[in-house]
Amino acid sequence: MTKSPNNIKLIAGNSHPQLCQAIAKKLGIQLARVGAFQYTNKETAVAVGESVRDEDVYIIQTCCSEDKINDYLMELLITINACKIASARRITAVIPNFFYARQDKKDKSRAPITAKLIANLLQTAGCHHVITLDLHASQIQGFFRAPVDNLYAEPSTLRFITEHYDRKELIIVSPDAGGAKRVASIADKLDVNFALIHKERQKANEISRMVLVGDVTDKVCVLVDDMADTCGTLCKAAEILLENGASKVIAMITHGIFSSNAIEKLNNSKLDKVICTNSLPLQDKVAACSRLEIIDISPTLAEAIRRLHNGESVSYLFNNVPE
Amino acid sequence: MRDLIVLGGSSHPHLTKQICRNLTIDQGRVSSKKFSNGETSIEVIDSVREKDVYIVQSGCGEVNDNFIELLIMISACKIASATRVTAVLPLFPYSRQPDAPHAANLTGAPSISTKKESYTFESAPSTPRPLSRGSSYFNDSFATGANSSREGLLEKATHNSLRHPVPYTAKSLVTNSASTNITSVDVSSKSDNGYKQWVAQNGTLIANLLTTAGADRLITMDLHDPQFQGFFNIPVDNLYSRPLLKHYIKDYIPNYQDCVIVSPDSGGAKRATSIADSLGCSFALIHKERRAKVAKNPPSTAASSSSSSVNLLNSISMNTTNMVATTMLVGDVKDKVCVLIDDLVDTSYTITRAAKLLKDQGAKYVYALVTHAVFSGDAINRVLKSDIDKVITTNSVPQSEHVSIIGPDNFEVLDISRILAEAIRRIHNGESVSMLFDHGW
Repeated sequence: MTKSPNNIKLIAGNSHPQLCQAIAKKLGIQLARVGAFQYTNKETAVAVGESVRDEDVYIIQTCCSEDKINDYLMELLITINACKIASARRITAVIPNFFYARQDKKDKSRAPITAKLIANLLQTAGCHHVITLDLHASQIQGFFRAPVDNLYAEPSTLRFITEHYDRKELIIVSPDAGGAKRVASIADKLDVNFALIHKERQKANEISRMVLVGDVTDKVCVLVDDMADTCGTLCKAAEILLENGASKVIAMITHGIFSSNAIEKLNNSKLDKVICTNSLPLQDKVAACSRLEIIDISPTLAEAIRRLHNGESVSYLFNNVPE
Repeated sequence: MRDLIVLGGSSHPHLTKQICRNLTIDQGRVSSKKFSNGETSIEVIDSVREKDVYIVQSGCGEVNDNFIELLIMISACKIASATRVTAVLPLFPYSRQPDAPHAANLTGAPSISTKKESYTFESAPSTPRPLSRGSSYFNDSFATGANSSREGLLEKATHNSLRHPVPYTAKSLVTNSASTNITSVDVSSKSDNGYKQWVAQNGTLIANLLTTAGADRLITMDLHDPQFQGFFNIPVDNLYSRPLLKHYIKDYIPNYQDCVIVSPDSGGAKRATSIADSLGCSFALIHKERRAKVAKNPPSTAASSSSSSVNLLNSISMNTTNMVATTMLVGDVKDKVCVLIDDLVDTSYTITRAAKLLKDQGAKYVYALVTHAVFSGDAINRVLKSDIDKVITTNSVPQSEHVSIIGPDNFEVLDISRILAEAIRRIHNGESVSMLFDHGW
């Protein structure tokens, strides 16, 4: 028996309302009247103001804000659970910047694999499907029993770069050895060279020594990374590239976390431009840092939601930017 | 004790220390930090391989932060090969749920609201906003910067929705009432699209999350809702503070046989009667009713026609919502010492109103015996200004701040670490816990 056609219900989390609005606008629908609020005792609750019975529910929440991450996480879990109780047919969590994505391995004795925990929590709450963007480690997809669509911001950011820079001058640089694969594929697509910076890290968020592999003389270097947090790596990498004769350094980032004094660091750095998607709310940061260039990722997310709802292939989005 | 490790979350380190002292063991070392992006980072420093691990975390303060921290700690111990992980939650988070899910704007605790400068007894929560931080509420979230981005979706929802939420004049609204600005709803909580707005209950979710993280067993105290135990598929030991409270009444209230045990609402009647019976005290009950006004005649006349044994004290009619609230005291308290008994005081509306009612009825002195004194928002100031003469509570949540506000003469904290420690010892050794239910420790 085929099921009767249903509708998309887009539920916005409190973490990034602008992105939710933009996605809703792209899809030509209104946000559902479902939303979370907090009691005075700091417990979160979700009020459901319209029926989601037998509907295709998409809940948008991103991991952002230094003091409210766990609040947003609980909010997401409670919203998923509320939709489950309300008999939604399918619940999809849209998490552009995945929660705890960097704690994906047991790097010390008795350290938790929090990303795996989050995957389990989401599924326990009642999540059937996950859409995310540039997972820090694509293996996190394997933490889920549910299907995960890991979208790429690359087509959107690359389009910006090819529109604004001369391809002949470009060289793609990975700030760490782990990103070599990603950089190589981008370089292939653009038909340019790539270089690599090898860094030795002793403690999290601290880098000690960096070595450049490849020739960057008189080139516009594009540093590619999935996220920029404290920006220590980026700023140092930029210095090294300029020391090695690069004419200009720009950075291409998916998730701009920019915690603590990152913006200050960027302002004092030798980076020419930082191109970053709006997977996190960045308005106040753009105001504080003129080098920040924001690329709207909502078309990709909206198109993924539309395709998922209609049962179409999502892989088109891995290489193309929807209009 | 061999193979027993007690770890503490950051919610209530003092209680963890006390429990360890009572067990005469050293507290297990955990490093709990925040990464620069705000994510919680846990590292268990002592080995837990093949150990029986107990993690103490209370559902207070930053509830979500503490709860996620607990989940991560449980999971960390589990993947570090702990034999059994027991979560010790003196105050269970999310245990207090709005009693009527279909009337979200009429029940439940008030949402976070703007700070008031002065506190009066009549102060009621102002119109709450979803996760608001005090910036202007009706700004277009698109145009304004990140400040208003926090405002949350409901705002957008209201933009889309057909009318703006009407500020709820809750001036004389009775306890536990608040409006959520989700969508504007009428008395029967129907919004303009005809859908009855409801607030999701989180009990099962919280239970499932704990189990998913890897908890094998749970210890908690005075669950607000005894049915909560049924949400779990793992054993839950619900301890009682009742013996502790009973001891206090016996030992510290002069002529305790003459005092009246009062339950501030009908939900707590069972708890209060059991204490009253075992102490041989008399008992009184405060009953509160809230319903939509249907009768044409004013509520006071309607209610005063009820039986003479019921003292009608307070009837408030609210023109804006057409709601009628009546508070009645069943029982005699004139010139008596009253002991209000409740398991959880959060906003303190119920308890302060009850105290006022008792004093109005001629009570001599009002004690408030509360297991979990959360006192969120401006509740503590309301208690300070209220007719409660003395508050007795337990250290299930940190109380030092409350003590300093109310003063040690009128605020007493009973120590539950001995009960918890004894429960941990018994569970670890496979002995019966039920003895703790009756005799306390």
